[in-house]
Amino acid sequence: MALTKKSKFEDQYIDPVGKSVPRIEGRGIVTGQLKYVFDVQMANMLVGKMLRSPHAHARIISIDTSKAEALPGVKAIVTAKDTHQIKFGSNEYFFPHTVDQMALEADKVRYIGDEVAAVAAIDEETADEALRLIDVKYEILPGVFEIEEAIKPGAPQIHESLNNIALILPVNFGNPERLMKEADHVREDKFWCPVAHPSPMEPHVCVGQWETFTNKITLWSSSQAPFKCREALAKTLKMDLNDVRVIKMAVGGGFGGKLEMLPMDFAACLLSKKAGGLPVKISLTREEEFTTTRRKHGMIYKIKTGVKKDGTILAMTGEVLADGGAYCSYGPTVLAAAMMRIFMVYKLQHFRMTGYRVYTNNPISGAMRGFGGVQSGFAVESHMDMIAKDLGMDAVEFRLKNITGPNMTTVNKMILTTNGLRECIEKAVIASGWKEKRGKQKAIKRGIGIGIAADVMGSKMYKSHESAGAIVKVEEDGSVYLFTGAADTGQGSNTALSQIAAHALGVSFSRIKCKSGDTEITPFDTGSFASRVTFISGNAALLGGRDAKLQVLEIVAKDNDLNIDDLDIKAEKVIYKKDGRVLMSFDKALELCYSFKYGKQIIGRGSYNPKTTPIDFRSGEGNVSGSYGFEAQIAEVEVDTDTGIVKVLQLWDAHDIGKAINPQSVEGQIEGSLAMGIGYTFYEDLRFKNGRVLNANFAGYRVPRSIGLPKMNSILVETDELEGPFGAKGMGEAALLPTAAAIANAVEDAIGVRIKELPITPDKIIKALKEQKA
Amino acid sequence: MNVNLTINKKQHTLNLKGNETLLEVLRDHLSLTGTKTACQETECGTCTVMIKGKAVLSCITLAANIQGEEITTIEGLAQGDVLHPVQQAFIDYGSVQCGFCIPGMIMSSVALLEKNPKPTQEEIEYALDGNICRCAGYPKIFEAIHEAGKNIVSKGSIASKS
Amino acid sequence: MLLNPLTLHLPKTPLEAARLYKELEDSKVLAGGTFLLNSMKLLKTKGTKTARNILSLAHVDGLKGVSFQGDTLTIKAMTRINELFESPLPDGHLKILHAVCRNISTNPIRNMATVGGNLTCRYTWTEMGAVMIALDAKMHFLGPDGKEEIMAPEDFFKNAARSEKLFTHVTIKTGQAARTAYRRVKKTIHVDIPLLAICVKTEIKGKKWYNTRVGINNGVAFAQRDPILEEFLNNSSSSANLGEEALEHLTKTIYDTRSTDYKQHMFRISLKSAIEELCHSRESGNP
Repeated sequence: MALTKKSKFEDQYIDPVGKSVPRIEGRGIVTGQLKYVFDVQMANMLVGKMLRSPHAHARIISIDTSKAEALPGVKAIVTAKDTHQIKFGSNEYFFPHTVDQMALEADKVRYIGDEVAAVAAIDEETADEALRLIDVKYEILPGVFEIEEAIKPGAPQIHESLNNIALILPVNFGNPERLMKEADHVREDKFWCPVAHPSPMEPHVCVGQWETFTNKITLWSSSQAPFKCREALAKTLKMDLNDVRVIKMAVGGGFGGKLEMLPMDFAACLLSKKAGGLPVKISLTREEEFTTTRRKHGMIYKIKTGVKKDGTILAMTGEVLADGGAYCSYGPTVLAAAMMRIFMVYKLQHFRMTGYRVYTNNPISGAMRGFGGVQSGFAVESHMDMIAKDLGMDAVEFRLKNITGPNMTTVNKMILTTNGLRECIEKAVIASGWKEKRGKQKAIKRGIGIGIAADVMGSKMYKSHESAGAIVKVEEDGSVYLFTGAADTGQGSNTALSQIAAHALGVSFSRIKCKSGDTEITPFDTGSFASRVTFISGNAALLGGRDAKLQVLEIVAKDNDLNIDDLDIKAEKVIYKKDGRVLMSFDKALELCYSFKYGKQIIGRGSYNPKTTPIDFRSGEGNVSGSYGFEAQIAEVEVDTDTGIVKVLQLWDAHDIGKAINPQSVEGQIEGSLAMGIGYTFYEDLRFKNGRVLNANFAGYRVPRSIGLPKMNSILVETDELEGPFGAKGMGEAALLPTAAAIANAVEDAIGVRIKELPITPDKIIKALKEQKA
Repeated sequence: MNVNLTINKKQHTLNLKGNETLLEVLRDHLSLTGTKTACQETECGTCTVMIKGKAVLSCITLAANIQGEEITTIEGLAQGDVLHPVQQAFIDYGSVQCGFCIPGMIMSSVALLEKNPKPTQEEIEYALDGNICRCAGYPKIFEAIHEAGKNIVSKGSIASKS
Repeated sequence: MLLNPLTLHLPKTPLEAARLYKELEDSKVLAGGTFLLNSMKLLKTKGTKTARNILSLAHVDGLKGVSFQGDTLTIKAMTRINELFESPLPDGHLKILHAVCRNISTNPIRNMATVGGNLTCRYTWTEMGAVMIALDAKMHFLGPDGKEEIMAPEDFFKNAARSEKLFTHVTIKTGQAARTAYRRVKKTIHVDIPLLAICVKTEIKGKKWYNTRVGINNGVAFAQRDPILEEFLNNSSSSANLGEEALEHLTKTIYDTRSTDYKQHMFRISLKSAIEELCHSRESGNP
């Protein structure tokens, strides 16, 4: 069969995997045309608002909405009595008792901002006025706001749990007490990891519409996890999954704050029902963003390690106390991750750590980027550095002595296949000039420090299955749809998954249009969190593309009387596998499929569930992830000992990402994570007093801006993960995990000051320097 | 009251009450939703537009107070299908992630480059200090601006292609 | 709607503006709007009433610009911060005006905010207060009768809000052989203390210090002078230790009010380093 002319789809991205294909949404973004839920304007759309508790802890005695209902322009008001009063949570499968929140509280409010009612009105003024007219009578209860106060017997009880402890997670292996006695040196430290906030630029926003004649809901939501949202809506509204449609549009960032259904999502739907089916839009103010969504768990992290004098770690024990706020959210998984990550990084046989997730009357803590790994990264990596110093050992040598390696199983049964940790450390050391700088720049008050970390890239920690699905649908003219449930929140998953699907199908990138995150159209996907999308959703896209390819090849083989196993599709051509000879173009093959004779629609399907083992939450044992990523991060700082200001000169992040599907996107994620890590180290600190957030705005809660960021060097290490799509593991949060420790370690190298309570602020440096002099 | 504004080179006569911010005129009256808002406290910069070539915050600009002014929003940069060099560079250099900050970020960048196509790193940092980006960490944004400047003609000066 | 209903007044001449300033009830002046409109939005969200009459100075002739005439630098009230930043200033001690502008807020705000607005409505928070005091800037007001009133800067910061006259411009005498040093600690990026600004201006002949003015903004009270420090410096000569010695001669109440250890430390570091800089610097106009 003759070769046909070049396809209109052929372009420079004919073998897209590994290429920095520009974002699909790029043009839409830079012209302002890309629409977010924030921009949605619909006919007869109502404005919805939430009525929130002004008290940190109170019993609801009565709610009188009559005056508000009488206000002209008010179309609907809902309170708990309009609901089934079903609780929802994020860890129902493993910890049913942590399902503790109601969309609209009926009996009790547990933090300032807790939702009590919702209104829908013709405009914002009327909605605000309606909120003012709702009369809620509270019986104020004493509140408790500090972790250590909350667990004391006699403290005000927030839920029905003993001593306000929502969950105790023990992680136990071997006999650490015995090994500690055999240690040549034992060190114990306590760290404070403060509360940060995801603060995506687009606030939480949703539009709910109830189709009254079918009782079907559509919710447009700025969400990282539309299917999770659907699940919770269906549960709390007692509906079938196929009567609830959640649509994710472009999302202006999530960072772990948009991983769940929030009361506003629920309320928007219910208000629409009550308003006869009119769409209701609820958009949070920035203050509500800071106070009523999800914050990072503040953690007291205690850790004790026994080592031999040659640096070998013998045993580790510790305790983690996490300030969970009023409800559980992702708390259990965050707490587990905060402890279990250590096994991915260091070879440990003897380990005992207990984590406590504590209720307080503070805003709700959830799964902010890092999932507990930022806190454990700071604590563990600072602690390790201090041990190395105690032993007179180089910080890098100490790490290398104890790190995990490839093809090993940890004591808690995590199966590490590819593991580029050593290579990452070595590359970072060379790139940063570690040997020439460490301990040698004190005269100019410069220092260099290292932090290492690992991350789960394909985890299953909150549900029985966390599979991803994909459909690759090839149209008659050769254009292709990729339907994926994965939620692109700006990290570029639409583009990367399209690259994977195109590569798996054997065609050029420009054929693919990606449709994602619509629960009615796209297959199930757990969502964008835990850095899982490239590995899990990517594998689904790969399988979908490959399935579509096989369907095409089946027709080609049949028509040419060939064996399908001898054929492949690569770079737009159907070829013989043996020698790469071209049989026909992809377009020609498609013509065959859609011909009068065969009429075969090409609909490829992929479903991927990572190969993990269930976690035993009594011990912490289980292979939690299908793939693990690793990194080494080095920070170089300069300290102004007059002002106490620490300037980060450079950051080097060497990262084992398996394979970079889109190198530019990977770097973008690393750089964004590094910036967030700098924020956490120096100034992201959400402060509270008696449950009230003191700095609920960007003036008070500082995030990194354009001025003064260090030079960021990303070093991508490709270890080719067999199980990953084309060798990829993923990238999302990991670069954020060791930053604070790398910087704290660098500060110690520069001026001998050790900060154990973040953020590192100038006043702490000055105080420590004064104490040093004394 | 009638307020005349030229937005993206198009004349508009708006019938306003007088207390509308430029942001509300753009998003609610004219459905130009490219300009965003994320804080309502002058800190985030997502509402940045250009008035007479200077980057300003539309959320604290009173529309009735800028009678007769020339306003450029993100929707006004491209010429038909041809993107402005800054828009193109932001795509090419991977500077866009979630995109919510980008319209404001691009407006600040265009205002800078049209006055000074060869800014120093420090000048870029100061020009963008009013635009928060939570996703990108800034390096690729800086890179895009350095590059785009090579393709921009400074207003009133000879074309400066390097 | 982000703002409450309002009536916008748009005078075209300074006299008209001055008249409206005196006569309008329930009114606020709209200069750059970065402070006023932001606070009006915030108050509305809290259900608080805001001023009904808004007196905009945006279209008043002759109320903006930076100019030199003889030995006087004039900065008109509606000059935007970035306009002042971009205005050429002679080498020497006036250049700190550029440094002050650079440190104010963020770029779009610097394009909108005005010198007059920054001086009159930021109360204890004006970055420019300490500098205007150090430079002995004279603050000019215009009444509806056309009469001008001139205030010394240290009085201005206490009295401006109470004046019935419209603030129109600042004049600063140039031509002195002076030198200035400016230190600013920002709340924003790293530290959690309110605005702190220090400006020291002096003339040094031989090594002796003359006509020293020290302007301090401690973030708590209005910008003020430090008379005890000024007296000490005017009886001193440049030396390697002057900065350290000067720390024994401070008007303590300025620095101790609502102060933390770190804030105290930063006052001392900033004053010491500013004085040391002046000991080493050259006077304006001299190569």
